[in-house]
Amino acid sequence: MKDHSVDDAINLEREPEQEQEQEQDSLHRILVPDVRDLPLTPPSAIESNFVSYFAPDFTKPGHDQYVYRHANGLCVIGLARTHVAFKDTSGITAVDFNVGKSDRSGIKVTGKRKKNAQHFESNTALCKVNTDDASYIVRCCVKGSLLEVNDRLIKQPGLLNSSADREGYIAIIMPKPADWLKVKGSLLGLEEYKKLREC
Amino acid sequence: MLKRFVSHINTQHFPYTHSLLFELKKKKRKLKSRKPPQRDSAAIALRESRCKMADANMNNTETEHVSIDSEAAHVISSAVECHGDDDDVGALHDVVKGLPSHAVKDLLSVGVCTRCILRLFGIGGNIYSISVISPSILNSVIGEQRHDEEISSNSKELEFEEVLCALCLGILQFTYCDDKEIPVKKGNANDMAVAISELVKREGYQIDSFSLEVSVPPIILENEHSVRLYMKRKYGTETWFQGGPLSQSISAKDALKFSLAKPLETMLDCKSGISNFRIRLTFSHKASKVVQSVAVSKQGCKRIKTGTGSSVDSLDDSVAGDIKCSDLADATVERSFDGLQDNESSECFKFPLEKVNDACRLVLLCQRTPIYFGGRYLKYSRNVSQTRWIIDDERMGEASVEEIIGSNIQPLCQGDNYKFHAAGREDIDVRMLGSGRPFLVEVQNARRIPSEAFVREIETNINNLENKLVGVKNLKVVGIEGWTMMHEGEAEKQKQYAALVWISRPLEDVDLDSISSLKDMQILQGTPIRVLHRRSPLQREKIIHWMKIERIGGSSQYFLLHLCTQAGTYIKEFVHGDLGRTHPSIGSILGCRAEILQLDVTDVKMDCFLTE
Repeated sequence: MKDHSVDDAINLEREPEQEQEQEQDSLHRILVPDVRDLPLTPPSAIESNFVSYFAPDFTKPGHDQYVYRHANGLCVIGLARTHVAFKDTSGITAVDFNVGKSDRSGIKVTGKRKKNAQHFESNTALCKVNTDDASYIVRCCVKGSLLEVNDRLIKQPGLLNSSADREGYIAIIMPKPADWLKVKGSLLGLEEYKKLREC
Repeated sequence: MLKRFVSHINTQHFPYTHSLLFELKKKKRKLKSRKPPQRDSAAIALRESRCKMADANMNNTETEHVSIDSEAAHVISSAVECHGDDDDVGALHDVVKGLPSHAVKDLLSVGVCTRCILRLFGIGGNIYSISVISPSILNSVIGEQRHDEEISSNSKELEFEEVLCALCLGILQFTYCDDKEIPVKKGNANDMAVAISELVKREGYQIDSFSLEVSVPPIILENEHSVRLYMKRKYGTETWFQGGPLSQSISAKDALKFSLAKPLETMLDCKSGISNFRIRLTFSHKASKVVQSVAVSKQGCKRIKTGTGSSVDSLDDSVAGDIKCSDLADATVERSFDGLQDNESSECFKFPLEKVNDACRLVLLCQRTPIYFGGRYLKYSRNVSQTRWIIDDERMGEASVEEIIGSNIQPLCQGDNYKFHAAGREDIDVRMLGSGRPFLVEVQNARRIPSEAFVREIETNINNLENKLVGVKNLKVVGIEGWTMMHEGEAEKQKQYAALVWISRPLEDVDLDSISSLKDMQILQGTPIRVLHRRSPLQREKIIHWMKIERIGGSSQYFLLHLCTQAGTYIKEFVHGDLGRTHPSIGSILGCRAEILQLDVTDVKMDCFLTE
């Protein structure tokens, strides 16, 4: 005649712990993905969240710029890989936001309503990028309010050389819906751009 | 013995301690057994009148001469319906006799109703629960004049007063217009209480208490002020006035509440008092457009006293017309009138009072204060938003946590609608796992409050829904403290996550260490681009409390990142860096590109709505 009472007692004590463990296990099971479902290279954050547009030869030949448009309407402006500035062997050495009538890096936009944001036309100058030999003007491409410029480029102009399509972005602009529709037609989609530049 | 003592008090020292009188009479009644009223009241009347006359002779007062004869006594007793209010009625008679007859006559002639007269003199307490008080009750005071008329037409006594009271506009005569502008003459408290209780029952409210709220047009306060001023001017020098009876007047609101409370308690079978169920009676009247008031400030009063002319400002539109008046408006008007009470030369009253042709419009509103359901929710789907999310008439996602939970709670309470509140939120594509996130569902105007067992049933129903999108834990009815519990120290709360991360190079053992070694690391996050359109452009400092990498078997570039961060940290941006606008980021720490594929919330570290 086996005495199960001791075993039962031990089991009772373990129950809340066991329950917790069980919960953790089942939680863990849903957290870990099935490796077979994972793509070799997942889409990047930009690919997932933005639609890429390109403005080739913007106001000047070789001045290729990109416009990443987010679903919320904001546009990230930057230098496309095929921009003529990258052809210089030295690469980009300096970025200066003091162009036109004001220093773009000095503007402070505040609040939900984006007070103090400057309204720029699509050909308004954003900044100047310098190489050893030349300097190139980067423009808005899209008419709208300038929300921010990437002032990290001032101290780290090399970001343009290493990742112009990500950390090296130039500025963020907020166009009005009507203004976006007007300019959209003049921009190229990713496939068209690739074909054009054969890259 | 007691009777004599009472009547002695009545005439000699404290002419109008009515409430005291009623209390004593109640005790007397309880000691003695009930006798048929007709015999008794006549006897009482005779005895009392003898006492009074004796006293009157002693004190040489002129105005308190009350004449009663046995025939008048009969008139009184038959005039009032004996529905068990007998004792109250009897006591009422006694007190009424103590009123100054000429003043009462005066008020009656001006068009003031019986109840208003009684309440002006501060007669309080139980008399308001007497269902029918006809004008003839005052006959004991008025005496012979009315006597002949009453005898000749018996039926008249029992009729409800036809003319609307100039003071209360018919409110205390239980006469009003309903919301369809149809005049309603309830005439007594009981019938009006029936109308109210029928509404409560029709709506299906299950209640264990109720609170009565009454709002009356401010013109009534003006009228009262006018009447009091008039009385002061006319009778100010008389002894009965000096005792200050008119300062103990009961407001029309209180009188109505006293009248309705008892019958409602019986009909609704619960007590009246502080309650989450409110019965609100709002009376409005097309009063004259020009409503006069006075400056409330002390300065204004002083100016008037020195006789430099009255400073009359007309009140805002908020007081005139059909607009409902709040208690606050009444209080303001009351205050301004109090300030004027001593003023003799005020021009701001009209007497005699205007004749009232229309009854007040009554809006009856029953409402329960919101009830709250607290608990924790889990979200198993990556296609369910927390709250209803519609852009351009199209719903984003398949469903929402708010609607799934709310639609399972609100109908069972038979509420009008619901509001969903949660302690923080997660994106539509982020799952909420672990112990769940605290939430509150606020149900407006619930007709019934579910029992504990019923609430557990609601929880089971939600958890057993076929599509298993959302789960609920620890659901229960909570008080308003649930609200503070949820929002307490929001910014300090920590959240725990599990993120599926990919990096652009193979993971190395040293990476696991370099990540685990970072404790309470501060990061700077610029407002993420994905929310920048609707949030302020700011740099936010956040703390990553700890991190841990869990390798995934079969992959060298994917891993699970477990991390615990300060509330308000954007996890996705911390992983991919948001174009460098969040730094440090996982990518910057590991020196490569990092992307986030999936995010799950595994713990919301808060103390509320936990399993007990």
